[in-house]
Amino acid sequence: MLTLTRLQELLERGEFVVTAEVGPPHGSDSRMVITKTDLMKEHCDAINITDNVRGIPTMDSSVCSHLVIQAGAEPVMHISARDRNRIQLESALYGAHALGVRNLLFVTGDHSLLGTHPEAKLVYDFDSIQALQIARHLMSGTDLSGQKLEGIPEFYLGSTFNPYADPIELQIWRVEKKRDSGARFFQTQAIYEISRFEEFMDGVRPLGVHVLAGVIPLKGPKMARFMNRRIPGIAIPEEMISRLERAGSGLTGDARRKAMKDEGVEIALETIEAVRSINGVNGIHIMAVGWEEVVPELVERAGLLPRPR
Amino acid sequence: MIAMELKPIKEILQMLEGYEKIVLFGDSGCAQMCDVGGILQLEDMEELLSSHGKIVLGYVFVEGGICDGNAFKLSVANKMHMLEEADAYLVQACGVATQVVTEALPAKEAFPATNTQFLGSMPERFMHYEKCSMCGDCVLHLTGGICPITRCPKGLLNGPCGGAMNGKCEVNPEQDCAWQLIYDRLKALGKLDNIRKIWDLRDWSPTHKPRKIEVTGDSMMS
Ligand code: SF4
Ligand code: SF4
Repeated sequence: MLTLTRLQELLERGEFVVTAEVGPPHGSDSRMVITKTDLMKEHCDAINITDNVRGIPTMDSSVCSHLVIQAGAEPVMHISARDRNRIQLESALYGAHALGVRNLLFVTGDHSLLGTHPEAKLVYDFDSIQALQIARHLMSGTDLSGQKLEGIPEFYLGSTFNPYADPIELQIWRVEKKRDSGARFFQTQAIYEISRFEEFMDGVRPLGVHVLAGVIPLKGPKMARFMNRRIPGIAIPEEMISRLERAGSGLTGDARRKAMKDEGVEIALETIEAVRSINGVNGIHIMAVGWEEVVPELVERAGLLPRPR
Repeated sequence: MIAMELKPIKEILQMLEGYEKIVLFGDSGCAQMCDVGGILQLEDMEELLSSHGKIVLGYVFVEGGICDGNAFKLSVANKMHMLEEADAYLVQACGVATQVVTEALPAKEAFPATNTQFLGSMPERFMHYEKCSMCGDCVLHLTGGICPITRCPKGLLNGPCGGAMNGKCEVNPEQDCAWQLIYDRLKALGKLDNIRKIWDLRDWSPTHKPRKIEVTGDSMMS
């Protein structure tokens, strides 16, 4: 079967895939995307561009995806359902395809009450499952009104799941619904505690989809606590937080920060090791937004170099 | 019922600046149940406005709701003299009420004393919880009597989102995840199949404003 993207090709060929996230700038600086892409393009197979995470406005994800292509890498463009209605989504998908974007990843989107623009009017015209259906519909050659398209977009569709979200049975059904709406690959929320992820994967494996396990390296206990409190769907076990604390104990200043970061890298490496051995996990997705420099180190030390050609 | 709150008194005084003789409007429906426009609150408002140099000429208190055209007409019929003498009207009921007064008595301006909030339940006095967004195409028969459009902050139809943990909502950890409630209830009813299937893209056109219902004799229950 013909594959549309490298990401798809590698997954279908059975390679263990590495993707990493670039957070678009909070402003118009296009060089930031290119610099960050350059930093990690040799260490991963595709670069994800997030879409206004938590309702904090950042550069348009299709524009940033285009910049990733210009920098010589393959983008995975995120699309959040939160801020778009179906008219805008159809329009954005035409544009994304025209800019050369082929990998799309649909998320529902964290509620904007959690971000910096809580005053915004919410859209939520559709959820991520219905967004996938819209994308698939366009790929069949007509828009939602049935009008024939002037140029039919083609995409490799993906979405997300959070193995720590409840209720687990219903969350697994949602993965199935996403698959049935066209999603072929999935990225997970950051994995820390392994047994719940394993349990979730038991439900996902029969669905025959590709899964990239999410990895967010921790800089220290403060970041871990902040994430547990403020980032929806994150569950970092208390033991892990005390491990970071212990790593820094007795030290101060830069030495303390470095010791804790090193421990965070160790934890991330252990997590990568653990998820690699779970049947049905086809790769990892590193989300080190604001700490992009760590991506090459992680990939290298996890023994995932060189990346397949 | 329509849940509403009184506006801050400062804002009410600002709107009434330059108007001296005021008539207050309230009703025994939602306005009274929300403790903004019952007789007691009209009395409180009279006292308050008087202490700021206004003259309250009297009240129009509608049994039922100001929104009910007939009830409204009956309530104002013998008060036309007072209404003509007034400089302005202050409506201690919902936004519908202020517009009904505006349309029925256009010679004077009617001002809103409340912020109208939502359609909710009142398990006890002073407690109001939003339950319905008037979507125009009710799905409660499929969701175990729990409204996802209103009680899930994202209005998801294929919920829950990935932020739902331990039965709580990502937006507010004090709040139950509506989809967890729906799941538990449908499970108890043996109807989980209702949410196992994909809910297709929804037609939101029934929510387009302004909406109206005009029932003719033969379209009812036919
Ligand atoms: S589905 Fe919800 S919003 Fe729609 S009518 Fe029913 S209760 Fe109201
Ligand atoms: S946690 Fe539940 S109620 Fe809250 S936004 Fe997500 S699905 Fe909706």
